[in-house]
Amino acid sequence: MRKTKLHDVAVLGVGMHPFGMFPDSSNADMGRIAGLAAMKDAGVSFRDVDAAYVAQIFAPVMTGVRVMKEFGLTGLPVQRLDNASATGSAAFFEACHAVSSGRYDLVMVLGFDKMTSMIQETSMNTDPAYLEDSILPAGFFAMWATRRMHERGTKPEHLAKIAAKNWNNGALNPMSQRRPDKTISPEKILSSKMIAWPLTAMMSCPIGDGAACAIVGRADMAKKLRPDRPVVRVLASDLQSERYERGHLFMGPVVGPARMTVDTSSAVYEGAGLGPKDLDLVQVHDAFVIEELEYYELLGLCGRGEAEACIERGDFERGGRVPVSTDGGLVARGHPGGPTGLAQIWETTLQLRGEAGPRQLERARTGLCHMMGGGSVCAISVLQRD
Amino acid sequence: MAEQTKKRRPVKAGYFTVPENPAEPPRLLGTRCEDCGEHFFPKRAVCAKCLSERTTEAPLGPGGTLYSYTFVHFPLFGSMKMEHVGYGVGQIDLPEGPRVQVPLAGKQEEFSVGMPLVAELEAIREEGDTEVVILRFKPTAAAGGAR
Ligand SMILES: [Zn+2]
Repeated sequence: MRKTKLHDVAVLGVGMHPFGMFPDSSNADMGRIAGLAAMKDAGVSFRDVDAAYVAQIFAPVMTGVRVMKEFGLTGLPVQRLDNASATGSAAFFEACHAVSSGRYDLVMVLGFDKMTSMIQETSMNTDPAYLEDSILPAGFFAMWATRRMHERGTKPEHLAKIAAKNWNNGALNPMSQRRPDKTISPEKILSSKMIAWPLTAMMSCPIGDGAACAIVGRADMAKKLRPDRPVVRVLASDLQSERYERGHLFMGPVVGPARMTVDTSSAVYEGAGLGPKDLDLVQVHDAFVIEELEYYELLGLCGRGEAEACIERGDFERGGRVPVSTDGGLVARGHPGGPTGLAQIWETTLQLRGEAGPRQLERARTGLCHMMGGGSVCAISVLQRD
Repeated sequence: MAEQTKKRRPVKAGYFTVPENPAEPPRLLGTRCEDCGEHFFPKRAVCAKCLSERTTEAPLGPGGTLYSYTFVHFPLFGSMKMEHVGYGVGQIDLPEGPRVQVPLAGKQEEFSVGMPLVAELEAIREEGDTEVVILRFKPTAAAGGAR
């Protein structure tokens, strides 16, 4: 039987290399910067690291173990993991359960990717022989939006309001790829280039490069290493793949049934011993803002069919009932691939410690991080400050 | 107007039929489970519903119902045909059960959720005397008439 509950697991440290376009930086450069920052934040040396999980999607074979040599050669086990967009979240899930089971005391989870070079390679190769290539991620999620508009009367303005929120949250995040210097209005979002009707460019995540790292370890070590600040525990973590139901798409879908988010979050809420009403902040896979709208309901942040009214009220904005995508989300902060889920852990950890600077929320004790990975999987973790 | 019919071949074998008669719509090639009766597209060896290995090939469609759709403002497979810039894609529920994602033929105004569609073949390139065809769906009412 699979368990989602974790025993005495904490995030000891977090670090990032900003997300954006960095043509002159290698994966090793970005990974080193994020990893050294996380170890410094945790107050540990590379000699203290028992094992490493490397989260990367598109880098060539051997890249994981070779990038880890940037920190030193201490003989530790290094494993590379790939689960599409959920790669960083999947590596974090594995690291947390490895510590919980007693296998390791302290684990580094390092994510990096250069999506800029990846896109250039793969888009050249689109070939109708791969029948799935006619369905791009933007087209796939646009079909979520069309269906939602048909069923619930959702308007493009609702999507634009989510996007504007995330862009404006990104403005407050030094690691964000998109940091507008003026407040972004929903009108501006709607007037940007149409990508796949009804989704515009500003409702969609950019491609980019970046790195992020989390140091996961035993909760008692967190107290010893940094007695000056609160312990941020990971209460539960889960990763699920698809369950078959009639109407399942076997070709072309970027992510599978909506039910995955319901099933995975239910398992995590049960493991964590809490529910959606206990959450103070939430990060989701908002590669396209229609996803964020659906996840409000699928995660239980509001009832079925209530998302539009909540958006109109500003429930998920900073200062709202449950702020979502507080660091800008994939739409603004960016989505390089491997590090994306770890950027969510970075944001949540800083918020729970009270170290999020201009983004700091007034009330931040419990946070949830949600990612989807194409193929497909859903990965969710719940973090809580002691 | 009678036009010499070129030979046609599917862009990828095993996914849909290419009828001899160009007026006849293509069918999707899926699987039926002999134990529970569930249908799948594309073909699979093990039933995803009951895990039975007793599965056989089954032609699906050619009709279907539009579950959702969009128009994507990128060129399809780098095609230079104007029709393929701003191309439609849809999720279509086949009468046998499977939902498929395929390109749509036509303009955005012609589509609405829940409408009946039918499969057709579209040439994407020529190789000597052979047309390479993909499968797409069009509104049932818009049948007939060369573009
Ligand atoms: Zn069966």
